[in-house]
Amino acid sequence: MKNRFRRITIFTLILILVTVQIGCGGGQAPGEELSSFTVGSSASFDTMNPLSSYMQVTYEFFMLIYDPLIKYDENYDPVPGLAKEWDISDDELTWTFKLQEGVKWHDGEPFTSEDVKYTYELMMDTGLGYMYSSYLTGITDIQCPDDNTVVMTTDFPKANMLMNSTPILPKHIISEIPEDELEIWANENPVGTGAYKYDSKGDNFVKVVVNEDYFGSIPEVDEYIFVSYDNIDSMAQALMLGEIDGANNLNTAQYQQLMDDENVSVISGEEKGFMQVGVNCWMDDESGGNPLLLDKNIRQAIELAIDKQRIVDMSYNGHGTVGTTLINPGDYFHYEPTAEELRSYDVEKAKSLLDSAGYMDSNGDGVRESTDGTPLEFELITIADNLEEVKSGQMIVSDLAAVGIKINSVTMDSGALYDRIIGGTYDLFIWGWGSDVDPTVITGVLTTDQIGGNNEPFFSNARYDELYLLQQQEMDEEARREMVWEMQQIVYEEAPYIVIIYANNIQAIRSDRWTGFKQIPETGTYFFNLTDYNYRNIRPVE
Amino acid sequence: MTRKIIVRKLFYALLTILVVLVFNYILFRVLPGNPLNMMMRNPRATPETIAAVKEFYGLDQPWYIQFFTYFKHLLTGDLGVSFVYKAPVADVLAQKILPTVLMVGLAEIVAIVVGIFLGILAAWKRGTKLDVATLSFSLVTYSVPTFWLGMILVVIFCVQLRIFPTSGMFTPGKSFPTTFAMLQDLFMHLALPVLTMSLVLIGEYALTMRNTLMDVLSEDYITTARAKGFRERYILKKHALPNAMLPMITIIAINVGFVVAGAIQVETIFSWPGLGRLMYEALRARDYPLLQGVFLLVTVSVVLANVLADITYSYIDPRVKN
Repeated sequence: MKNRFRRITIFTLILILVTVQIGCGGGQAPGEELSSFTVGSSASFDTMNPLSSYMQVTYEFFMLIYDPLIKYDENYDPVPGLAKEWDISDDELTWTFKLQEGVKWHDGEPFTSEDVKYTYELMMDTGLGYMYSSYLTGITDIQCPDDNTVVMTTDFPKANMLMNSTPILPKHIISEIPEDELEIWANENPVGTGAYKYDSKGDNFVKVVVNEDYFGSIPEVDEYIFVSYDNIDSMAQALMLGEIDGANNLNTAQYQQLMDDENVSVISGEEKGFMQVGVNCWMDDESGGNPLLLDKNIRQAIELAIDKQRIVDMSYNGHGTVGTTLINPGDYFHYEPTAEELRSYDVEKAKSLLDSAGYMDSNGDGVRESTDGTPLEFELITIADNLEEVKSGQMIVSDLAAVGIKINSVTMDSGALYDRIIGGTYDLFIWGWGSDVDPTVITGVLTTDQIGGNNEPFFSNARYDELYLLQQQEMDEEARREMVWEMQQIVYEEAPYIVIIYANNIQAIRSDRWTGFKQIPETGTYFFNLTDYNYRNIRPVE
Repeated sequence: MTRKIIVRKLFYALLTILVVLVFNYILFRVLPGNPLNMMMRNPRATPETIAAVKEFYGLDQPWYIQFFTYFKHLLTGDLGVSFVYKAPVADVLAQKILPTVLMVGLAEIVAIVVGIFLGILAAWKRGTKLDVATLSFSLVTYSVPTFWLGMILVVIFCVQLRIFPTSGMFTPGKSFPTTFAMLQDLFMHLALPVLTMSLVLIGEYALTMRNTLMDVLSEDYITTARAKGFRERYILKKHALPNAMLPMITIIAINVGFVVAGAIQVETIFSWPGLGRLMYEALRARDYPLLQGVFLLVTVSVVLANVLADITYSYIDPRVKN
């Protein structure tokens, strides 16, 4: 027996030695290598089908694979994509797009104006393409006089025609799929016209390689690999060790740690979007929300009583800005409430507003009641695995207790919360929105039309709906901004959403290896900024 | 054990599986959260599209029809189509089962061998420094949170020593010139998850082994054997170990049964593409067919492992045989 043990021990030792040997040898392969950039993210791909995807990281991938007619440059100004040049008629109702010539799909088929017509009509007819399709509202007719020209007619002047980042999809592939099945179609092998081609996909990564036949300038990085991590601590380690070259959605502790790493350039970049408390404003009898919340005074008092700065400081360690309206500060369309309108943290003001609206604590239990004796007691739902939001929820509970509003805090997973929201059976919840360059999508969320879909608080305001349509038709940018301002003013006044914070996205790139990247816009992010600038301009350090 | 008893055991095993299946089917459907809402975030979806999607997944049928269709398909080996992956459940499971069995199975083997060995050593050398050292080691690894242990190992082996990669099963996006290069890459990625997983299990096995063996060693028949003048090693091997192995078989059987269930924590730290994570993702998305598939797999393997343990008993314990 002794001999056998000894033999096993020796065998194990040898095995370990061999492993370590292999490990040391298996690192970097010598010689000429492709420049390959690996981006880590905590989110994983949902589907490669642009018609049914809603994950941010997937949109990033679509941006490299597919081309829209018009792209954004780093200043969010429209620049040619598949459209070489464009022209608008004097009545502002007809757009003529001249397409790039000699463009080929990744599978070698020629790209033509028919592809544009097909993609737009498909999205308009079916509502598929979650974020893209709402940009197509107002287009009534699409003609293809020749292979390189598309003429679109709109039933009103369309203000956001050039902000439309809808990817053009290959008709010869998609039209083969029955329309009813497009929503669940997996798109196993995406074929686009973009600067990068789909290469392969594994359990936790998707890889794209540069398209040598691209009609525009060919980027320097040969391949991008998007890797998803289940654990962001591992992701931060991988970045520091150089297993990956860039990382998204890092946390605030890692920000501090990476600041000390001279090989890494880390930023806390402003990102379009916000975190909000949603309030059930459904007027219908079917509403499962507390009817007291239909009183605007209570909604406004809640906002006054929340110490948003403390939430920014404590839950987000200062990586964000106190929130007010639907569109981020720094954005051209952002409306900043006047000093008079602004409801910044003010306990006394919250109390007096509730007092004057007739909500008093008549039985001395610390909770106010309405005149008919109903206590101001609401349920607040947060998503269990979002630590920042759960923490913010706890602070809101104590903030509101101080003004005599009792909050019962509940956590659940996002699926269960989504169900409660869709059914209108909630009082308050905490969740967030990401948004984009044009105000159409984010303001569209609160239109009456979106009730049952994105309009989580069941908010309905006739003037708001009217302005939503008008702003899309206003070709004068400043006049359009006035309208978008008024919309934000309405939402701020009515408070169906109490915007708590515009949170930052902490991102990092290995600056010892890569150069040519920048924050977009100036205080923004490296990735997830709706432009492909960094993907196209990053290059290896000489 | 007669053939009749084995047949009866198998029958009960099948019955258990069936009961669990029915229970799971109902359990997942009473969870709040509508999979269709999560699948289609398109408020403008036409009724035709919604109907088509429902029909595709069989959600247009009343619940009792869905229930029987599920069991009918199950008999033919059809586990349904995953809502999230939009692919047959059997295919999704097949992709994940190998990584899980490889990682957890290897960890189990290492843990069983090392754990039992340490347990025997500790019990045999009871009271010595070796016993104290083994006992402390086992207690620490047994009680340390898996998540924390994993991160510490990452810091030691990836950050300090730079031997192993931090996560995944292969280097993402890498194409391998030879099968050997691929296996090498796999091996490097496999090392840390297996180490973490086995460290946690070793503690459990070693402690159990030590305790039962010490009980056995204090029995009268061991004293009798000593009085007969047998050598200590012979007593250990022939008299004590066979009896001490019985509780070990139970623990091992339970743990081995859960091998396919994966190890959510270890899989999460190392982004290992296994069944544990798949189960978590499926639960979040209310992907019923996939959830049912994973649970079926786990149920079958747990029940099967227990049947095997029962049968093994009859070979090593004469009392069970009768």
